[in-house]
Amino acid sequence: MADLVNLTIDGKAVAVPKGTLIVDAAKTIQNDIPVFCYHPKLKPVGMCRMCLVEIGTPKMDPATRQVVKDDKGVVVIAWQPKLNTACTTPVSEGMAVRTQTTVVSDAREDVLEFLLTSHPLDCPICDKGGECPLQNLTLEHGPGNSRFEYENKQHNAKHVPLGDLIYLDRERCIQCSRCIRFQDDIADDHVLQFHERGRHMEIITLSEPGFDSYFSGNTSDICPVGALTTADFRFKARPWELGSSPSVCNHCAVGCNTTLNTRLDTKTGINEIKRVMPRQNEQVNEIWLCDKGRFVHHYTRAGDRLQKPLIRQNGQLVETTWERALDLVSSKLLGASSVAAVIGDRIANEDAHLLTKLVNSNAKGETRLSPALPASYADLARDYGVGVGFDMKQLGKGDVIVVVNGDVEEQAPVWFLRLRQAVVDRGAKLIVSNHRGTKLHRYAAHIARYEQGMAAQWAAQTDDAALSTEELTKARNVLFVFGDEKLDAVSARGLAQILVGKLVAAGQIGKPNSGLLPLYPHGNTQGVFDIVAGTRHSGNPGVLSVDVAWLVGVGDTSDAPKARFSVVSELFMTALASVADVVLPALSFAEREGTYTSGDRRVQRFYRALPAVGQAKPDWWAVQEVARRMGFVWNFASPAQIFTDLAANVSYYSGLGYEVLAKTESQWPPVGRDDLYYGGTGYENDGGIGVRYASNPSVISAPTLPKMITSMSDLKGPARKLYQTGELIKRSDVMQTHIE
Amino acid sequence: MAEASAISKLMRIPVGFATVLKTLLKKPVTVQYPDEQRPMSARFRGRHHLKRYENGLERCIGCALCAAACPADAIYVEASENTNEQRFSPGERYSKTYEINMLRCIFCGYCEDACPTNAIVLEPIEFPTGYTREGMIYTKQMLLEVPPTGTPATPQVTQPGTFDRPIIPFPAIDSSV
Amino acid sequence: MEKHILLRDLDVPNIRDLAVYSQHEGYAAWKKAVTGMKPDEVITVVKDSGLRGRGGAGFPAGVKWSFIPKDVFPKYVTVNCDESEPGTFKDHHLIRHNPHQVIEGTALCAYAIGANVAYIYCRGEFREPAYELQKAIDDAYAAGLLGKNLFGSNYSLDIYVHLGAGAYICGEESALLESLEGKIGQPRLKPPFPAVSGLYSKPTVINNVETLANVPPIVLNGSAWYKQWGTEKSPGVKLFSVCGHVKNPGNYELPLGKYSIQELLEMAGGSMTGRPIKAVLPAGSSSPIIPASNFHAKLDYEAMAAIGSVLGSCSWIFMDDSVDMVWAARKMIRFFKHESCGKCTPCREGTHWALSVYDKLLSGKGTIEDVNLIGEVNKQIIGKCFCPLGEFATSSMTFTLKHFKQDYVDFIDQKKGGSDVYLKELARDHHLHELHSGVVSVNGIKVH
Repeated sequence: MADLVNLTIDGKAVAVPKGTLIVDAAKTIQNDIPVFCYHPKLKPVGMCRMCLVEIGTPKMDPATRQVVKDDKGVVVIAWQPKLNTACTTPVSEGMAVRTQTTVVSDAREDVLEFLLTSHPLDCPICDKGGECPLQNLTLEHGPGNSRFEYENKQHNAKHVPLGDLIYLDRERCIQCSRCIRFQDDIADDHVLQFHERGRHMEIITLSEPGFDSYFSGNTSDICPVGALTTADFRFKARPWELGSSPSVCNHCAVGCNTTLNTRLDTKTGINEIKRVMPRQNEQVNEIWLCDKGRFVHHYTRAGDRLQKPLIRQNGQLVETTWERALDLVSSKLLGASSVAAVIGDRIANEDAHLLTKLVNSNAKGETRLSPALPASYADLARDYGVGVGFDMKQLGKGDVIVVVNGDVEEQAPVWFLRLRQAVVDRGAKLIVSNHRGTKLHRYAAHIARYEQGMAAQWAAQTDDAALSTEELTKARNVLFVFGDEKLDAVSARGLAQILVGKLVAAGQIGKPNSGLLPLYPHGNTQGVFDIVAGTRHSGNPGVLSVDVAWLVGVGDTSDAPKARFSVVSELFMTALASVADVVLPALSFAEREGTYTSGDRRVQRFYRALPAVGQAKPDWWAVQEVARRMGFVWNFASPAQIFTDLAANVSYYSGLGYEVLAKTESQWPPVGRDDLYYGGTGYENDGGIGVRYASNPSVISAPTLPKMITSMSDLKGPARKLYQTGELIKRSDVMQTHIE
Repeated sequence: MAEASAISKLMRIPVGFATVLKTLLKKPVTVQYPDEQRPMSARFRGRHHLKRYENGLERCIGCALCAAACPADAIYVEASENTNEQRFSPGERYSKTYEINMLRCIFCGYCEDACPTNAIVLEPIEFPTGYTREGMIYTKQMLLEVPPTGTPATPQVTQPGTFDRPIIPFPAIDSSV
Repeated sequence: MEKHILLRDLDVPNIRDLAVYSQHEGYAAWKKAVTGMKPDEVITVVKDSGLRGRGGAGFPAGVKWSFIPKDVFPKYVTVNCDESEPGTFKDHHLIRHNPHQVIEGTALCAYAIGANVAYIYCRGEFREPAYELQKAIDDAYAAGLLGKNLFGSNYSLDIYVHLGAGAYICGEESALLESLEGKIGQPRLKPPFPAVSGLYSKPTVINNVETLANVPPIVLNGSAWYKQWGTEKSPGVKLFSVCGHVKNPGNYELPLGKYSIQELLEMAGGSMTGRPIKAVLPAGSSSPIIPASNFHAKLDYEAMAAIGSVLGSCSWIFMDDSVDMVWAARKMIRFFKHESCGKCTPCREGTHWALSVYDKLLSGKGTIEDVNLIGEVNKQIIGKCFCPLGEFATSSMTFTLKHFKQDYVDFIDQKKGGSDVYLKELARDHHLHELHSGVVSVNGIKVH
């Protein structure tokens, strides 16, 4: 490794890559230099002065330009006269750092005493108390007492709504600017800024409405004090009282790893999610989470959750027992001439697998993914998707990222953050092609436009030099991010095929960081498709007409089949459920375990965090019970066993299992360690980082060029917005004003 | 030896009677609890009380440090946010739910130690008893003192800016400590 | 001195008018450079002249210019006219009374480094002089001295005047750049230095007004001519803003190294009050105070360093023996507390803390413990700040404690605190503080 730099920290030799900052180099040897303004994910500023250390470099003889050595042959270190910040100084060859001397520990005490002169000492009511870097570092490095007179403390406003999701306590703010820098450097929503100066310096929001950003919740996570709190969690519970379960967000294709913090609520008498925190997975979401993933969880404890099975009697849906409901469903299925199952793309792989297995036992059984549109191209997105070793963090100079017909910030927010960094910070070339403006347009080296619905036609006919085969061949990697906005099934598949064609022509197949990346509508679109695709499935939308239909977690889809008898498994009494013959209460993702497959084919486990609501049961249980009544000898005791069966039947998943998926590896930068220097107790990833299964590129059929779309009624895929109204988001109080 | 021991055994009978006769004339030590009660040490730790400031605001700020300190896990606190229109305690936070399971409580007093506002006090005046397990879970209403005479109960309506902060010494109010 | 080089308005009436300036060799150097000299030649002349930056740090101007990379475009010249140091009024004088010399110097600098745009950043309070300066620039444009294809060459130059919002910190070069870019005035992390990544991340030269005002005569008359004044290491002339307890306050243009502090004091007419001069602040409140015992030192960079002080921006505030150093130090700390940008903790919190202790002393509640605490807090700030201005804030404490510790002891022993004068002053400052911070009081508790 040519670009490793050797230095010593407190006499210990360290070798780290060139450009590493001293504070990170020290972390590699478990030497925690205290910081407040520094955050490994943000650019350093050196404001808080907490990380002051003694730094020395080898003494150079000015005449010979040689390193000076003493009589014992040891390199003489020229120590800098002043302490310097470890968070802004990159390492250099032969550098020596001292972090444990009296000078350094005095400096830490001094800076902490300064910080605490402004800080209110109201830890008992502060939501950060218990996971607060200022608290932790004061205990470790603080002076123990202060000579500052308590009455001279400055009093500022303690209840400042920056937006309706984030509240600011101006007294607690230590002016580290982490939130401002996150918004500027990571989210690129320049909505926060310092106002005034000196002791009056305070955070203000510049946007109208306030704090207008999809990523505002992250600022509360990285805030090193309790200055920024979310409307959702404010004064709800102390961090140490919370239960913590690893989970996976299912609202978009990213599959962000989350930690569900739960606690008993005396009002409902049942455990509920108090907050959703990002769980560190450098391969997926790093340590970020969008506000939808963070604040939409309230539906899990909505008052109108279905609690008991319902069957239709005399035209009315009436409550019944599971026994009767299951008996009815199994008898109908046994007698059915044709059966269809429609599986929503938030349903866990295990449930989808078991239902598919059951439905396909019928000679005329058909399964379908809902929404149906992604099924038209999901096979291409899988087989020509990014490689197993795909890592968005490696995209950079020499790579070409093409975003076609998708609005990444709206449809996969955390991918937006990561793609943006690949382009802005690491120099990847971004080409954006869309029928409307998106936020990614800001960073595009090249922009193409076409009429709404004409993405495939554009891709087929474009003579853009930036997308020519020569250009794409020259690129280190080519990543096609595409969506199905305003496309029908033919166009959507056509677009995917053309993009695959470009990949093949440019010889970019089989590389880890090249391939397709689809902007699926939800968190398990790929997974459900993978399961139904191997069987009789209707990939194309169109109205099916069957004897018995079983709809699982489809919401109010427009492509439900016409059925003489329909079974709906749902969380809520949707319009579709209200016309069903049997309604089965299902468990939400937080009340059960299972796996999801993200848009980049990473299979990830989520865990049970909450007890069930009423008599609601997981879908796989209902399916198995029905199957048993129909004579199948199924004895799946848990999703883990079903997944083993799934892995044995769906070739892509072979070799995977719950143990493999639960494996973790140490994450760099270490924000989830117990030193808690970066705040937050949810970062630690103890639930597994998931496994991406291999793509299977083979020769593709010639692209079928779609016909021109002439009327609006032909348009299919919706223009999905992050906060568009839906069954789940509408049950979250804090999100009400954001729903579009 | 055997003979001597037989005599001494016999001698125990009159000694026993003598004791009974002596005690018959004495006032009994036992009291008819709970109708009668013995005086307790002033520092005896009996049942918990949640205290108020002199203006009727609750001292408890819902920090749950008592629950964290409790070795028996007997305390359950749920916090919520004060507003000037509905103020329970000084500062932003108050306890919406405050429950102590008296069956679990070991009366160690750690909750008192942990309390930053001297809100919870184990007083020697009352002993929790009950017939049901549910009845032994003392709710906030049972634990909270009645407001000092002349002050309104919580929640109160307060002027903006007057009770923004917890714990800060209120000279007029804090004299009760 | 027979003739002024910088304060030419004292010799030539109305030199602020372009016509008058032109009659007195005005823009001759500018024309000579653009029509007859290569940019590198201009740099060489300035480098040879040994002209040092007059803003305070004293870095050789020509060397600074030569750091600018040749192959990166665009480049910028930024003129630092954020003269905010208490007691300094030399730049103000120059842009008001001799603006064309500043403009010409700026233009020469821009030509030398190959910049086509120059900004003159004036502090917010300089509204009126900035308008005067703008008028002079407009005249220069009208006369074809600025603008496109100057003197028939293919070199073009635009000069803009920018008014800041009145912040001491914007005199720090990187904070000035931030402010010029429209951001909040806070210093930047260095490296990269402005010569590499300055204004809009492009190579930028930042020079003080006075530095650039020296350039036209240097380019016109050559470096040897300029070196006839001053010392080997500090050549040339320098403006001395003299104020305080002197009879004739004002700007004095003197060769470096020729006179001593005592002579400067005599030139300014000596003590105004007749009382003996006790000490002088050589470069405003940011500089180490010099007690009268050191007034023998010569006025150049090296001699000042030898007596443990600095030449800095040369704003000489003379104080007679009626000045209580505790009061003076508090005054200075109040200034720094008010002007702290708030970026780094020690300066933001330390100045506030120190002021609160000084206020305690003035209010009469202080003890000798508090005097020690000032020293402690001061030590806590030193060496930990983000930018030099944070360190500047400490010198008033460090050096009044060093040279005038007796004043502090007397202040406590003789119970000077709590006098009507001091209490009135505290009340007024407190009122001003509330006005500035928008703090209002509700029911006796301050809310924002």
